[in-house]
Parts: sequence; structure tokens; C-alpha cells
Amino acid sequence: MKDKNTRISLCAMGALIGMLAMPAVQADPAPLEERLQLCGGCHNPDGNSVIAENPKLAGLNAKYLQRQLEDFKAGKRKNAIMDSIIPMVEESEFKALAKYFSEQKRLPGSLAVVEPVAADPSAPAAAGALSEQAKAELIAKGQQIYMEGVMASAVPACGGCHGEDGTGNDKFPYIGSQNNVYVVNQLTNFKTGARDNDPKGVMRAVAKRMTDEEITAVAEFIQTLKEAQ
Amino acid sequence: MKKLLSIIIVALFSVQASVVLAEGASKPKVYGKKGYVWDEMTPERTQVLKMGGDPVKGKESFRGCQGCHKADAAGVTEGVYPRLTGQHASVLIKQITEIRAGIRQNPKMLPFVEDPAISVEEIGDIAAYLNTLTTVRENGKGAEDMSAKGKKLYTDNKCSRCHGVNGEGDAAKAYPMLSAQHYDYLIREMKWIRQGVRGNSHPEMVKAISKFSQADFEAVASYLSRLPDYRTVTAAVPAAK
Ligand code: HEC
Ligand code: HEC
Ligand code: HEC
Ligand code: HEC
Repeated sequence: MKDKNTRISLCAMGALIGMLAMPAVQADPAPLEERLQLCGGCHNPDGNSVIAENPKLAGLNAKYLQRQLEDFKAGKRKNAIMDSIIPMVEESEFKALAKYFSEQKRLPGSLAVVEPVAADPSAPAAAGALSEQAKAELIAKGQQIYMEGVMASAVPACGGCHGEDGTGNDKFPYIGSQNNVYVVNQLTNFKTGARDNDPKGVMRAVAKRMTDEEITAVAEFIQTLKEAQ
Repeated sequence: MKKLLSIIIVALFSVQASVVLAEGASKPKVYGKKGYVWDEMTPERTQVLKMGGDPVKGKESFRGCQGCHKADAAGVTEGVYPRLTGQHASVLIKQITEIRAGIRQNPKMLPFVEDPAISVEEIGDIAAYLNTLTTVRENGKGAEDMSAKGKKLYTDNKCSRCHGVNGEGDAAKAYPMLSAQHYDYLIREMKWIRQGVRGNSHPEMVKAISKFSQADFEAVASYLSRLPDYRTVTAAVPAAK
């Protein structure tokens, strides 16, 4: 898992260095189709990123997306990778980009291509089954947090704001089926205050009450959420 | 220094800041501290009462509360989160504004109700919305039915003077409805009101429960939690008080 992620992010970094080497680092408005090639490299052309660190943008509220882009531009939200991309994009393009991604259909699950691990004939047959079980337990724990919260530490149920299927609304972003590593990163950043652009401060209040174990568990569960039919 | 002055002047012109300054001028007066006056109006509460509320907007705003009080606003049977359904709007407004002002202590909830999590206007909207709801879900009632003893304590100590014969409270005076509330929440609040840790105790209520033992708290809570939501019994309310 870790290996795969590092490998994919290395690819992304490679692409990034390539892009930065281009002469056009100065913001220059580009037609949407052209601009989408840049975003698509990391977020997928349809906004369903297959890289666990990169968020799916598909289906997110347009105003939310636009505000995030503005915040990256203004330095109110920080991320090494997006910070290097955002100078290339003109502020006047944000609206169209946000509209485009908000209109894409979010696809469920992790779409990251999992490369088959070479079968090791000497490995005990139970090993795979055991880790499957551990994962199922983690997801069940995450589901409990998502649906009921943690009463002892007053963590409110995520579903209360983001919706039981995670689709959110105009005030609470769509987090259902979001990539697990991205969710862990955001919750950790809200917890430490490294991300502090939530206008009402409620997400920081939620994350501050969570343990690292709870964050991992809830992120695993969120990735399994599907839009209610 | 000049810069600081101009910042202060700008801040003074912002309505929000002026409320903060008015309230921040002195520490909130809580029960047990010198100068405490029960039910003293805060500027914010006066403002909310004047604005009124829109229940349709309130339903939207309540979404940020559902993670604890639940989507049906009935709270949890363990009593950690109280039921808010059907509570008088005046009571809800009193509690929320006093929590925001630091008079009633509620650190678990504060980040989700303080400014800017919800606006002054939303307080009235949410209160109007919650008041329209009836409790349908089962509430926490405690293991043993001690209604008979509880009812006697409730009558003997004249709790009905403020909370009504059916635990329906009093909207005009902002006395809370107690019927069909969760058992553990009722016990906790009575203790916190007596100890003064809740912050907004009514001195006369403290007197009324001053001699209550643990068993008395349990009996009264057992009785009140078993009373039906007052709106389902209004037809049967006897004329005699
Ligand atoms: C080199 C990879 C890369 C490229 C290219 C890229 N992004 Fe990102 N983007 C990221 C990463 C990584 C994050 C997660 C940041 C974090 O963890 O805070 C992100 C986050 C975002 C977010 C925040 C989403 C949310 O749910 O809050 C938005 C919006 C976004 N990107 C839009 C864009 C747009 C539009 C483009 C094209 C102009 C683009 N990105 C190009 C890597 C990239
Ligand atoms: C009181 C309402 C509320 C509750 C409860 C809540 N959230 Fe949020 N959450 C928000 C808001 C509002 C934002 C958007 C912040 C912004 O606009 O920058 C958000 C943002 C997020 C994000 C970032 C989304 C993105 O695309 O970058 C994640 C991840 C998240 N929440 C996860 C959770 C989890 C997990 C829980 C439960 C443990 C939870 N939230 C509970 C209100 C809430
Ligand atoms: C993190 C969990 C949490 C969230 C979110 C939350 N509350 Fe609460 N609320 C509580 C707790 C805990 C209590 C009881 C405190 C006590 O025991 O004194 C409470 C008590 C109350 C009371 C007092 C009830 C009474 O009978 O006196 C009101 C009113 C209230 N909440 C309204 C709200 C509103 C409105 C929101 C959303 C804007 C909200 N709460 C969000 C945890 C929460
Ligand atoms: C003089 C009026 C008065 C009397 C008498 C009185 N109370 Fe109260 N009670 C209040 C007020 C007022 C509050 C809410 C505190 C506030 O808002 O300042 C309250 C709160 C409560 C609460 C917590 C309710 C909640 O939703 O948080 C309980 C339980 C309660 N009272 C029980 C009793 C019992 C039992 C008696 C009789 C032994 C009693 N009270 C007598 C005025 C009174």
C-alpha cells in the first residue's frame, strides 16, 4: 500500500517538475480544455482522482471548489503541490474550472490501479484473510464514528453535517467515497490547524477531538460510501 | 499606536464587534459570583427575540447540530445529548445565547453554536423550528419506574410553580419543559444547577432541590422522563393549578 502510494506520487512529482520547467510559469488564462489537461494529470480528467493523496473533485459544490482555489491562490490554504500549480492559473479561470468539476459524476470506491502482488507460495494462506478481517474491523469502527460520533469525547457524527451517504450540500462538502489518504491528511491538518480555512471553524473543532486511530478508521469508511440511489 | 487606534475605531463600527465589546467589557456573571442576576437579558438575546424566527430556515441551520442531537432532534437515550424537540422557543433562545455569552457552561457544544458557527439570526430560526417538533422516539427513562415517589417530590416541592403540572414549563417566563426528557440528562442538570456548575441556576430552584438525595433525583427524573410530551396531553390539562 505504502509502496504503491509513493510510486504514484513520484510519478506525479515527475510530471510536476516537467511542468515547472516549462517557460509559462506566469499565469496566463488558457481555454478550459487546455487547462483541464493540467488538472487532469493529478485529479483525472473527470475529477475522479485515482491517486490516494489527491482529492476527487467530481461532484463537489462549485462555490466550495472556487473558494478552495481562491484560498490556495491567497495562501490561506497551503499544500506544497497545489501551491506550485496555482500560480500557473489565472483567477478568472476559477469559476469555469469549479463549474466543470462540480458537474462531473463522482465514481465510488478507490479507482487506483492496484498492481497484483507476486504470489508468494510460502506465505500462510490465512495471512490474506486476516488482513481482510482487520480492514473490515477498521471500516466498521469508522462507520460507527461516521454515523454515531464518539460520545465520550463529544465528536459529532460526520453524517449529521455531510449526510449519511456523504454527498453533503451547499454548506457541507461532498466527502463520500473520497480518497482515504486525502481524508486522513485533511483531518490531520484541521486537527493541527495547518488547514484553517474552514470559515466557521467547525471542522477544526471536530478534528481536534479525534485520535489518529479514529481518523484512519473514518477515512477507510468514507472511501466505501456510495451515493444513495 | 495610531494604527491600533484606527483599528479600534473600525471595529467599533462593526455591529458584531460592538456586541462582543459590550459583553466582553466585564466577565459574564455566573451563578454564585457577585452580581449574578437570574434571567438578566443579554443584548444578543434581546436582539434574537426581536427578530423572531423562520422554522423553514431553522431546519436548514439545524443540520450543523444533528451530529450530536440527531436528525430528529430527540437526542440520545444515554442523556449525553438532550432532546430539543418541542422545547419552548424562548427557553432554547435563553439557553443558546447564555451558552454563547459564557453564562451557561457547555464546552462540548460551544464551538458549534458560538459565532461564527451560527449567526444571531439562525438562533431564532433554529428555536422556531425545534418548537414545531414532537417527540416520537423513545427517550431514556432509567431502569426502575419510581414515578409515584417522583410525583410526590415534584408536588411537595412545588416544582409545578415554574415547570407546570404536566412538566410543560412556561414559554412566557422561559421555564423549560421537562416532560419526556432523557432520565440521565435530567439528573445531571439538577445536580449541576444545585452545584452551580451549569452557570445559570435559578436561586429558587436551588432552594427547592437543596435537600434532594441521589434517590430523590432518580425518582423525580424517573417521573418526569415518563411524562408524555405536553402537546400530546393538552386536551387533558386540568383547569385547576
Ligand atoms: C501535481 C498534482 C496536481 C495538479 C496538477 C493539480 N492538483 Fe489540485 N490538488 C493536488 C493535491 C495533492 C491536493 C490536496 C491538497 C491538500 O492535501 O490539501 C489538491 C487539492 C485540490 C483542491 C481542493 C479540493 C478539496 O476537496 O478541498 C482543488 C479544488 C484542486 N486541487 C483543484 C485543482 C485544479 C482546478 C487543478 C488544475 C488547474 C489542479 N488542482 C491541479 C494535486 C494537484
Ligand atoms: C458541524 C458540521 C460538521 C461535522 C459534524 C463534520 N464536518 Fe467535516 N466539514 C464541515 C465543513 C463546513 C467543511 C468545509 C470546510 C471548508 O469550507 O473549508 C468540512 C470539511 C471536511 C473535509 C474536507 C473536505 C475536502 O474536500 O477537503 C473532510 C475530509 C471532512 N469534513 C470530514 C469530516 C469527518 C470525518 C467528520 C466526522 C468525524 C466530519 N467531517 C464532521 C462540517 C462538518
Ligand atoms: C458536539 C456535540 C453538540 C453539538 C454539535 C451541538 N450540541 Fe447542543 N448540547 C450538547 C450537549 C452535550 C448538551 C448538554 C449540556 C449539558 O449537559 O448542560 C447540549 C445542550 C443543548 C441545549 C440546551 C438544552 C436544554 O434543555 O437546556 C440546546 C438548546 C442545544 N444544545 C442546542 C444546540 C444547537 C442549536 C446546536 C447546533 C447549532 C447544537 N446544540 C449542537 C452537545 C452538542
Ligand atoms: C422558581 C422557578 C423554578 C422552580 C421552583 C423549579 N425550577 Fe427547575 N428550572 C427553572 C429554570 C429557570 C431552569 C432553567 C435554568 C435557566 O434557564 O436559567 C430550570 C431547569 C430545570 C431542569 C433542567 C432542564 C433542562 O432542560 O436543562 C430540571 C431537570 C429542573 N429544573 C427540575 C426542577 C425540579 C425537579 C424542581 C422542583 C424540585 C424545580 N426544577 C423547581 C426554574 C425552576
